[in-house]
Amino acid sequence: MSTSAQSSLRPAAAVLHFLWTLPQQTLILLLKGYRRLVSPLYGQVCRFFPSCSAYALEAVTVHGAVKGTCLAVRRLARCHPWNDGGVDHVPASDRYERMLRENPARTPRILVLNHPVIPADDEGRAAA
Amino acid sequence: MDFFNTILMPFTWVVSWIMWAFHEAFSWLGMDPANGWTWTLSIIGLVLVIRAALIPVFVKQIKAQRGMQALQPDLRKLQQKYKGKTDQLSRQAMTQEQMALYKKHGTNPFSACLPMLIQMPFFFALFNVLNNTAKASQGGQGIGALSADDVAQFDASTIFGAPLSASLLHGGAGNPSVVVLSILMILAMITSQFITQKQIMAKNMSEEALQSPFMKQQQMMLYILPLVFGIGGINFPIGVLIYWTTTNLWTMAQQFFVIRRMPTPGSPAAKALAERRARKGLPMVPLLGERKSEEEALPAPAAPKGQRQQPQRKNRKKK
Repeated sequence: MSTSAQSSLRPAAAVLHFLWTLPQQTLILLLKGYRRLVSPLYGQVCRFFPSCSAYALEAVTVHGAVKGTCLAVRRLARCHPWNDGGVDHVPASDRYERMLRENPARTPRILVLNHPVIPADDEGRAAA
Repeated sequence: MDFFNTILMPFTWVVSWIMWAFHEAFSWLGMDPANGWTWTLSIIGLVLVIRAALIPVFVKQIKAQRGMQALQPDLRKLQQKYKGKTDQLSRQAMTQEQMALYKKHGTNPFSACLPMLIQMPFFFALFNVLNNTAKASQGGQGIGALSADDVAQFDASTIFGAPLSASLLHGGAGNPSVVVLSILMILAMITSQFITQKQIMAKNMSEEALQSPFMKQQQMMLYILPLVFGIGGINFPIGVLIYWTTTNLWTMAQQFFVIRRMPTPGSPAAKALAERRARKGLPMVPLLGERKSEEEALPAPAAPKGQRQQPQRKNRKKK
């Protein structure tokens, strides 16, 4: 089960691990392809931040194929004319965060992009 | 594929029913039911019904895009804060803050994916209907609201000698009519799409929108979409191409109307409209989504110099 010590896994375990994460990796690849090829066609059209495809990518990366897909579908269902949109982040996963604390270097790019550090307003200083 | 068809079932039924209704109406008016033109007009009728039904969504979208005067000051402050920060992360942070702002004001200019998404099932359903005519007419089956006789009639009907269910890549390449008609319609689609997009960018965008980072993506779209139409076009049956071309022409006409009659405030088209009205001696009307009191928001003319005026606190509205 340990995802952090992939290199020291025995070959059988590595194969199992590969098969176990295959659906997740496939979804991630599809989503990345969509974001690279199809999203630019529309420009920004989503009423949420992160956009639906970014949300789906993060959800699948963090929560895995099954729960991630559920979360993404629920987000899509929230996209209708009577919703004013706004900021809507993927719920955090304790397990994934523990994994990230152990090796921060493996943080996926989508996580960085979806949770940008908001610079402090310098209104106070400018007005003074 | 069966799963897909099951989801599309209601849409297929609606699409086929509308086509059937138009076909009946045109036949009643004295047109030959078996003629390809009767079926072509039925497809055009279908487009008109779907696009007319989408007008309210379109208007709501324009209003949302323009009814944002209230948050212009906040937006400008945000742009000031992120001025010069063009790296991806700063852009992401800015987008997040922008979205929070829209939410706070209960407005959101981004709903553009909806009209596209709504049209998609209808488009797939039509594709489904037209793509299956050959198979269904051989098996003596009906599709949706179309009876087996209707399907057989549709399958056999032609315009300029090209069957409505033939496509360039799938068996139609031997028929010169199919080739010429497909290519003409693909060119028509690309041209109308290009003109529409260019018109929006050249005439109906305010200065601020032109400088936004989304412009680059818009520009990319201008050159990628013709490619999409080209690749799609050679795969699709003539009937689908008729649908697609008509819907593109509708978009173009709708855009011309919007640019001429209700342009975006602050765009070149809005200036042109003001000039046209001034020449006729008519007062300028408030544009769709524009606040009437915009003049009041302009800075008051500078006070005559001389005695220095004590800075006064503006009366703030208390909540």
